[in-house]
Amino acid sequence: MELDQRIAEQLTEVSLNSSIQVRCGTSNAFMVTASVIVPLLHSFEMGGVYISASRGATETIDALEALGLSTENIHFIDLVSSGFLGGTEVEHKNISFVDSPIMLESVLLRTLYHLRTTDNERNFVFLDSVNALAIYNEERMLAEYLHTFINTFRNREVLTVILNVPDQTPPSVLANMDLYCTDLVDRGQVVIH
Amino acid sequence: MDEILRGGIPYGSTVLAAGTCGSGKTTLGMEFLVRGATTGEACAHFTATEPSVKLLENIRQFPFFDMGMVDSGLINVFDMDVLYSWLGLEKASFDLEDVHALIKAITDIVNTIGVTRLVIDSVTTLCYKIKSEQLIRDFLFTLGKKLATLGCTTILISEITSATENAHWSSFGVEEAICDGIIVMGDVERMGHLLRFLQVVKMRGTSHSRAKNTLELTPLGVMLTPMLKWGSTVDNKQGWG
Repeated sequence: MELDQRIAEQLTEVSLNSSIQVRCGTSNAFMVTASVIVPLLHSFEMGGVYISASRGATETIDALEALGLSTENIHFIDLVSSGFLGGTEVEHKNISFVDSPIMLESVLLRTLYHLRTTDNERNFVFLDSVNALAIYNEERMLAEYLHTFINTFRNREVLTVILNVPDQTPPSVLANMDLYCTDLVDRGQVVIH
Repeated sequence: MDEILRGGIPYGSTVLAAGTCGSGKTTLGMEFLVRGATTGEACAHFTATEPSVKLLENIRQFPFFDMGMVDSGLINVFDMDVLYSWLGLEKASFDLEDVHALIKAITDIVNTIGVTRLVIDSVTTLCYKIKSEQLIRDFLFTLGKKLATLGCTTILISEITSATENAHWSSFGVEEAICDGIIVMGDVERMGHLLRFLQVVKMRGTSHSRAKNTLELTPLGVMLTPMLKWGSTVDNKQGWG
């Protein structure tokens, strides 16, 4: 898989208390994710928390490690794997589980907990993804959550990166994302109807 | 909690922490003592709901709790059953004389050790032995007043069956009236999942927040964040609980 170098170039412009909306399509989501994570780990020497709502954290870790990335400075909060039997029986020590993607405040508190206990000097929080949370959460609650989420970490000088597939995200949530986020990395696919 | 209370529980207050089972009352109470013991305060915990050995076994799983604080005498844990036995109060119900003996025993311990932070877990279990509402009121009022005079800040843990808007914040309906502060803890059900919440209903001497907060028990102790407004109330039209 080839990483998108333009993303790394764009990220050099952002500051620690930024909140970046990363728009991608359904087929390039992981490539875009990896293209954001690589410069955060290597160029900015950051660590952080990866909130995994789209797929199990093990799958993301394995895919990142297949690219030669070390995930030891990232703690994964897995919102998916508690939903099926045996999902939480994993080898990785840097994964914790939240019962369901509807427990949004618990996700926020777990993230804050891991940020408080990490040794990393600079941290990011990567939310993967808004459209996965939109499957379970009502539109107005999700919009409220993203507002709280972004402001909580901005206040703590933690970079927030929010992955989003626009055509699978409720319009009001999308509009609010445009309002709350300070930066936009747009790698959404062009859909020809 | 300090942020919600805009500074913390006022010195010498008696606070009722009322909550449903599994809402985190005991952990909150123990963390209150640990934070005090960390700064060298003498603390005491009277346990009526479970033996002290079991309490300590459960609480030591939390890294914020240091067993050394118990060993060094900063946190003193007392079994109410043992206290009853010392006082010859191994009976089904207490009369006025028994209540006064109990108050004297607790205040003597507080005075002797110099306790500045105290938790009684739970006042509900303790008051089951006091049959009259008036006697319960007298007991709690006198105890709270004496402890405040001694400079002791107290959390009285109360077990309730429901923490919804229409519920009482105490089992006997009198505890809430005599306390300086009331903290309610319970669960909000959201699509079949239970989220713990904490809400400060009253805290004399503070301009505290009255918002409902989601509570997580983490290895660092209790962590709180304001509960989402669209996720904290029952809205039948939308089907959210």
